[in-house]
Amino acid sequence: MKTFFLTIAALSLRMLAADPYETQLGVHYKVTKIPTPPGVDPQVGAVAVLADGRIATAFHHGEIGIFNPRDQSWKIFAEGLHEPLGLLEEKDGSLLVMQRPELTRLRDTDGDGVADQFDSLWAGFGMTGNYHEFAFGPARGPTGKLYVSLNLASSGASIRPEIRGDWNPAGLPRAEFYNDWKTAGPKAGRMYSRVPWRGWVMEIDPQSGLATPFASGFRSPDGIGFDAAGNLLVSDNQGDWRGTSELHVVRRDGFYGHPASLVWRKDWDGSDPLQTASQRLDSLRTPAAVWFPHNIYANSPTQPVIIPKSAAWGPYGGQTLIGEMSSPRLLRLLMEEIDGVWQGACINLAEIKTLKGGMHRLAFSGDTLWIGRTHLSWAGGEGLATFEPQGKTPFEPLDIHVTPRGFRIEFTEPLAAGASDPASWAIEHYTYAYHVTYGSPQMGKAVDVPTRVTLSKDGKSAEIELAALHPDFIYDIRMEKVVSLTGAAPLNPHLAYTVRRVPK
Amino acid sequence: MFPTTRLPLALFALASASVAQEIPPPASVAPKRTAPPKTVTVSMRDGLRFEPARLTANPGDEIIVNLENADSTHQTHNFVLLKPGKLKETVALAMELGEKGAAQGFIPTTSDVLAHSGLIDPDKQEVLKFKLPAEPGVYPYVCTFPGHGLVMYGALYSGVKPPPIAKDANIPPTAVQSMIAGNGRRPFVQRLFMPDAGPAAIAVALSGTQNFCWDSDQCRMRYAWKGVFIDASGYWKGNGNELASLSSVPWWSAPADTFPIRFESGDAPPPQVRFIGYRIEAGIPEFYYRAGNAEIFEKITAQENEEGLALHYRILKNDAPVIYKATEPERVRWSSSKGQFGNGTLTLTSAEAADFTLTLTSLNQDVQ
Repeated sequence: MKTFFLTIAALSLRMLAADPYETQLGVHYKVTKIPTPPGVDPQVGAVAVLADGRIATAFHHGEIGIFNPRDQSWKIFAEGLHEPLGLLEEKDGSLLVMQRPELTRLRDTDGDGVADQFDSLWAGFGMTGNYHEFAFGPARGPTGKLYVSLNLASSGASIRPEIRGDWNPAGLPRAEFYNDWKTAGPKAGRMYSRVPWRGWVMEIDPQSGLATPFASGFRSPDGIGFDAAGNLLVSDNQGDWRGTSELHVVRRDGFYGHPASLVWRKDWDGSDPLQTASQRLDSLRTPAAVWFPHNIYANSPTQPVIIPKSAAWGPYGGQTLIGEMSSPRLLRLLMEEIDGVWQGACINLAEIKTLKGGMHRLAFSGDTLWIGRTHLSWAGGEGLATFEPQGKTPFEPLDIHVTPRGFRIEFTEPLAAGASDPASWAIEHYTYAYHVTYGSPQMGKAVDVPTRVTLSKDGKSAEIELAALHPDFIYDIRMEKVVSLTGAAPLNPHLAYTVRRVPK
Repeated sequence: MFPTTRLPLALFALASASVAQEIPPPASVAPKRTAPPKTVTVSMRDGLRFEPARLTANPGDEIIVNLENADSTHQTHNFVLLKPGKLKETVALAMELGEKGAAQGFIPTTSDVLAHSGLIDPDKQEVLKFKLPAEPGVYPYVCTFPGHGLVMYGALYSGVKPPPIAKDANIPPTAVQSMIAGNGRRPFVQRLFMPDAGPAAIAVALSGTQNFCWDSDQCRMRYAWKGVFIDASGYWKGNGNELASLSSVPWWSAPADTFPIRFESGDAPPPQVRFIGYRIEAGIPEFYYRAGNAEIFEKITAQENEEGLALHYRILKNDAPVIYKATEPERVRWSSSKGQFGNGTLTLTSAEAADFTLTLTSLNQDVQ
């Protein structure tokens, strides 16, 4: 009983002490939890906004519910699908669903509002039955082609007796996968790709269902989408060969760092890529455009979506937004191409404590962002929510560009003169290792004191000069001491820029 | 998303210690302790139920239960662990508390209560720790909030093997239903990882008592069983590392080798198959696939007397005779609406194959 009353007392105290960040967030954005259909497990695998404004939502047990925001009603469109993790509407109203084993086209041919035709558009990828072989997408590219991303298997478990697709002989022999896994597992590689296209992004023709291997080197590419300029973005999770979580700008035939998938490259020599020297792998790969520093910005980034260009979203229109599983964060990506190399920063848009985490799938309907949450036994949350700007842009960094000597940071409002004091900026740089080990510590960490900070004439941007700028380092910039001309503190005062190239 | 371990911090720390060292999977890096506490998550869910409704542990285990009230209908709940066999008595005692119950969190004063949480409001969590008694048994857990205890309970199996879900009298019928794909509705189609099939399996519950597993990679039925549909709770509670489970042994299983249909002759090699999809009518799927150059529609329904299945085939775009390998293991009988049976094979002309029904009857109705 004593503990019971103590708990109540603690709860009351917590409720009394209003978090200033949350209060401020509430000025700029409105968060609404949307009740999910009764009797349906509320973990959301996918969200898509339909042409008629309804919201298609895929749930963990395989239901697709369609929510009508006008009358707040749910209609179950389909049931019994296998772990749907992607949804996309087509022009004729059919719905593409990425299930674990298949990209499926769902159609309602008799007009009763329920799918009756389930066509297999693409199932030409391997499955070992390992739990980690998730399938994500599809994202529709500027030419109308579809893109899906396929997870590697995890040594957290073995393979099933029956598999789909050709078994690649490079690595631990298949027979050993059926031995005691505690002994055999560590020899398989922490994450493995022993059936086709695991760790790949595939390009699929929506008419024929023919698939072309597009890019390799992925580990757990949960987020796949396009930015406003038509670049394919894929997020990936911290782990082996991923010192921290990453965002890649993906091009045809690129290799993005996790070696397991290399066995399926036509020009691969048949050796076990997990035994390949990391220097060779390093020379083959395109490093991430954006690193998400672990435990600071994101531990498991999710789906990238484009912020609409509208009055309500103001200057953020056209930027890319991405979700995060381990904390209830939405982050903006501020990216640029320097000498043909993509790089940039991540910055919180909002940390919404009431949503707990698992910000897995995002979709815009007008100005309203729909957020579907899941966890699948990992860190996360569950349910559906909306996030709406209230038409008042907060004071905070709007964008960042690397310069030959440092950075130019643009703000949403003019800065007070004190921002030209280098002491207003707390900057440190560090990097992450590219290695087989799970994750990486921050390495080479050091503090940068700006040699000079110059404000622009309109006061809305600050030119920060540093003594030196190191490629392949993150510059983690904290701006708690920077205030606006009207005395406001930044709502989200820190960002992390991954430098790959320093412009001349 | 989806890191492979729930211990990223521990691994991170290790990685810091030695950057070059390869880290083996988490099981072997966890510090060795004698009997570490067992941590489980129990959620309070819409419809007055605990999820999961069953837990397993060993006598004497230290248990940490992360309780979370995820009830979107805004109900307050608690979690009360009881001595074996004391569910009904304790719920009755809690009801008797009446108005004064609120002051004690609706926990009845009895030595039958082994451990309990406080009242947990919607969206709130509480961590409850306890040590299980040394005696093996089925320890009930229940929400004693007024009116909840009659349906909102579960069972902790300590050193006792739980029975199949469908036969578990220690958990409420609603909990049983929530673990069965389709919540017990029939007919129902569920794609999931199935035992004894490829990774792209489709499980089908027909209207009465028959169920079957169809393999979309091999384009054929793999087995059929009678009774309760699949228990999917193992897969659904986590990330898919468990297969669905069946409540009974299949009364028929396909031969291990290949696709049953041949064209021209029984000695011909099996045709290449490619799954195209299915259409659901009145809840029952009709599968559609290519076999060689032919297009095949296959719809499987239950026999009216529930003694077996009827496989309705339409083999189109085909000019060749069709040979169907209806091998007869013990306990089943094949028959066909068309064609000639001989030596375990059915031979049909291409015209007959365009529309015929095979029936598969179980000869041993006791097997369930």
